[in-house]
Amino acid sequence: MATVAKTHSAAHRATLGRESVREALVGYAFVALPIASFLIFFMYPLANAFYISYFDWGALGKIESVGLGNYRDLLDDFLFGKALRNTLYYAAVVVPAQIALGLGLAVIVNQALRFRTFFRAAFYFPSIAGSIAITAVAAYILSADGLLNAGISAISGDEYNRPWFGQSDTALESIMALNIWTTSGTMMLFYLASLQSIPTDVYEAAAIDGAGPWRTFWKITFPLLKPGHFFVAVVSVIGALQVFDQAFFISAGSGGPNYSTMTIVLYLYNTAIEGARFGYASAIGIILFAIIFTLTLIQRLLFGRAEVA
Amino acid sequence: MADARDLPSVPPVVAAEQLAAEGEVAIGAGPAGIPGQERSERVRRVIVYVLLFLVALLFFVPFFWSVTTSLKTLPESVGFDLLPDNPSIRAYRSALSAYDFNRYFLNSVFLAAVVTTSTLFLASLGGYAFARLKFPGREFLFLLVLGTLMIPNELRLVPIYQMLIDLPVLHVNLLGTYQGYFVINLVTATSLFLMRQYFLTIPKDYEEAAKLDGAGYFKTYWRVMLPLAGPALAAVTILTFQGTWNDFFWPLIIFLGDETKYTLPLGIFQFRTQFYTQWPELMAASVIAIVPIALIYVFFQRYFVAGVTAAGVKG
Amino acid sequence: MRKRLTVLAVLVTATLAAAILAAGGAQSKTVLDRPQAVTAASGTVTLSGWSVGKVEEDLVKEVIAAFERKFPNINVSYDAIPNYDQAMLAKFSARQPPDVFYLNSEKAPTWIGQGLIAPLDSQVKRSKFKTKPFYPRLLNAFRSKGKLYGFPKDWSPLGMEINLELLSRAGGKAPTTWATLRSFAQRLKPLMTGTARPICLAPEWQRMLAFVYQNKGTVLKNGRPQFTSAAVRQAVNFYVGLQTAGLGDTPAKLGVGWCGEAIGKEKAAIAFEGNWAYPYLPETFPNVRWRFFPMPKGKVRGTLGFTVSYSTSPASKNKAAAWELIRYLTGQAGMRLWTSKGLALPARSDVKVNFPAPSRKPLLNEAGYAHVWLWPDGWDKVWTIANNELGAVLEGKQTVNGMLSRIQSEAQSAR
Repeated sequence: MATVAKTHSAAHRATLGRESVREALVGYAFVALPIASFLIFFMYPLANAFYISYFDWGALGKIESVGLGNYRDLLDDFLFGKALRNTLYYAAVVVPAQIALGLGLAVIVNQALRFRTFFRAAFYFPSIAGSIAITAVAAYILSADGLLNAGISAISGDEYNRPWFGQSDTALESIMALNIWTTSGTMMLFYLASLQSIPTDVYEAAAIDGAGPWRTFWKITFPLLKPGHFFVAVVSVIGALQVFDQAFFISAGSGGPNYSTMTIVLYLYNTAIEGARFGYASAIGIILFAIIFTLTLIQRLLFGRAEVA
Repeated sequence: MADARDLPSVPPVVAAEQLAAEGEVAIGAGPAGIPGQERSERVRRVIVYVLLFLVALLFFVPFFWSVTTSLKTLPESVGFDLLPDNPSIRAYRSALSAYDFNRYFLNSVFLAAVVTTSTLFLASLGGYAFARLKFPGREFLFLLVLGTLMIPNELRLVPIYQMLIDLPVLHVNLLGTYQGYFVINLVTATSLFLMRQYFLTIPKDYEEAAKLDGAGYFKTYWRVMLPLAGPALAAVTILTFQGTWNDFFWPLIIFLGDETKYTLPLGIFQFRTQFYTQWPELMAASVIAIVPIALIYVFFQRYFVAGVTAAGVKG
Repeated sequence: MRKRLTVLAVLVTATLAAAILAAGGAQSKTVLDRPQAVTAASGTVTLSGWSVGKVEEDLVKEVIAAFERKFPNINVSYDAIPNYDQAMLAKFSARQPPDVFYLNSEKAPTWIGQGLIAPLDSQVKRSKFKTKPFYPRLLNAFRSKGKLYGFPKDWSPLGMEINLELLSRAGGKAPTTWATLRSFAQRLKPLMTGTARPICLAPEWQRMLAFVYQNKGTVLKNGRPQFTSAAVRQAVNFYVGLQTAGLGDTPAKLGVGWCGEAIGKEKAAIAFEGNWAYPYLPETFPNVRWRFFPMPKGKVRGTLGFTVSYSTSPASKNKAAAWELIRYLTGQAGMRLWTSKGLALPARSDVKVNFPAPSRKPLLNEAGYAHVWLWPDGWDKVWTIANNELGAVLEGKQTVNGMLSRIQSEAQSAR
């Protein structure tokens, strides 16, 4: 009671007021350098892209103003339609799989198992090895005469020789599998960090209550990982929607076979670099940004709200 | 008059370390030691371990193939033999002598070290501010941070290139300089985001204790939050080091024309000629490139078990 | 004090006056000595190409060294750029391109159209550089609206590579026409095991187009796309028909990355590739014996040619030296040195080289009927669609007519 009375004294309120101003200033100071860096090297190029998307823009600059022409063309654009569909499909599969696998690996590794260090290293390894090596290995293993087909032939007894990356039915799916595998290690890392912050008394209490491992995980661990979930989900979605490297490498830039590996960023790259059509490419980039931003906003509203006190 | 606050006597991560050190208690496992369950429990464990080993082995496959390929000759390397007939380190010698690999290696180390340091500091400071400090527009600025992740590099290429050639206001040319690379890579949004999320999970009791002791914001950050953020800092270190180490896009744009500043990815690329790839040399170079990251990882992943020992909540 | 100031003022004025007089004097002297008003080329010139292997890079450095001996006042700074197109576009947009650089024939219309390349006609005239020795079709790839924008540094046409062992087992006579190509492949069919096929059929128009030309067809006439013309349709049906008859298949189905690799791994006996198979094939697959043959003849002879020029930009900082470098590199001596190892074919008919095996004669003889592969501005997208459609056709997921009408409509709406 005495404390409450104190809080309401004018002097105290004034102190609180000055305090929150100070807090705000410190807050700005702490984020100043990162925000400045982001404004200059990300937001300015974004604004620039937005500007030139209203033009026919070449390597040397403005060619002519087209207003919303680029965006209108995108609506009818056959290739862009393919790219959009492929990219959304890719993200819809890869994001949940990456998260699930990453979480699973993190939980496994977080257990006080023997050889924990070895497992931690093994599961993270694909993420470390450079993407040239990984994609090359995958191309070798998944080729028509490669290891995977040899394995399948041995098991099934039939001659099996699908070129996984070279067939439109399986090309994108093979890239999905490849990326889920390589990025799961990074997700595992994120989740590991989060798992470490859960106090053990929580587990002890659960154990005392007689909860089994599965129940403990779903009712206690999983909800406590919410900040981790938000992070992993956002980063995963953003990364998946920008898939480019493997699609470029596997299809030699063509997005084939049969448009199966044409992604939005690949189309953007081709338009800008092969066609030198920067205005159109910027329009593609802006649309991609809008999609990602909307999805992130939705995720923020779904997950992110509860955390901030 | 201070409230009697129930502070945990030992920070939770250290408790976890103690438990982990004992090695027998699986966090989240059910009650142990019930007789009769022991044998089936052991069998189950063996099966789990075997499966995990197989999976782990699978995860090592690319590295294994890289190493064996690096020991082959070019004609051999396009074949499907798992092991080379006459393993030789010819490719390593040729990779190291053909281009100035020592130089590339040192450049990569230098860039990665500097970028990681600046990111660790700025991301943790910023992450703390976003997680714990209240300032108007915080939500908007945070969305801005996230927004930077949504812009593909190709879209940023031309504006940044033009900026580097003629930096606004200062009118310097940063192309071909290390500073140019550092300036555009001060901190990544991912790291900032990660630190923020982690700080959100730390109980507020610590900061409030620090505040009662009269610590200012920076001191709280430096002496309380940072020590508690071991696992997150380790994660940021690993990810940033690796990200910079494997970065091909920006070193290419910035250091083009000055071979003395090339990093490993640029060096490695030189083994791909216009129509084919010299696989043994490429793999040899890739193997050399993996070693430092593997070392960083091995060193820092300890922090995923033991959080940094508490700096002492009592300031 | 005043005295010292006066002395200083006099000295400064005198120096300034002397400088002005000297400069003015020098100028008039130059005008008198050189009626062409071209100052002697000197300084540094930057040369950029895309990344090539060590052997080629050393060769380029040799040519540069020879150039620098001839022009001791010029210093050449050479760079091999990975991700060439991307880096070049960034440099163009910043108005800081290299002085001399590679221009790929497929990109030439786009880059020339955007004003990134400088016409060379006035320099050619002034230095009386002979254009006649260049293969006309190659040179024309770099002409636009009557101006010349570069000189080809080398080239390669598409030829037919045939595995010699299988050739002898199938009768020993290499095919020379469409009909004999088919019958030869028929004879090869029982000799190919597993996933191997007689012919490797790349799912790319930059290979299949050769057959269109052999059928007296073309995809662009007077600015109008001709994909649905009878000649094109016939040629495409011939090419695709080889697959339906089991006489050939795509690299993916053969288990390789491209048709050169198919020859190397003996997954195919015949491939349509160019000089770039060398040194890839001998170095990677030293045990396979093969040779170049001319492309088969349809109604007429025809094949594709791929070439690259040395060009310069209007934004170049050292135009005089840039021209000297281009002149040397594409001159007789420079080109002979560059093509001496057989890594590329000379683009001039007056450059004779003793190539290492295999013989390039079949390729060089195609110079008279090679059509250079180039994209009209805006056709990068047309070819992306065309190649995806062709891939779909070869997967059995699209009909030839469906493909041709889609490409035709896309080509018609390309600007």
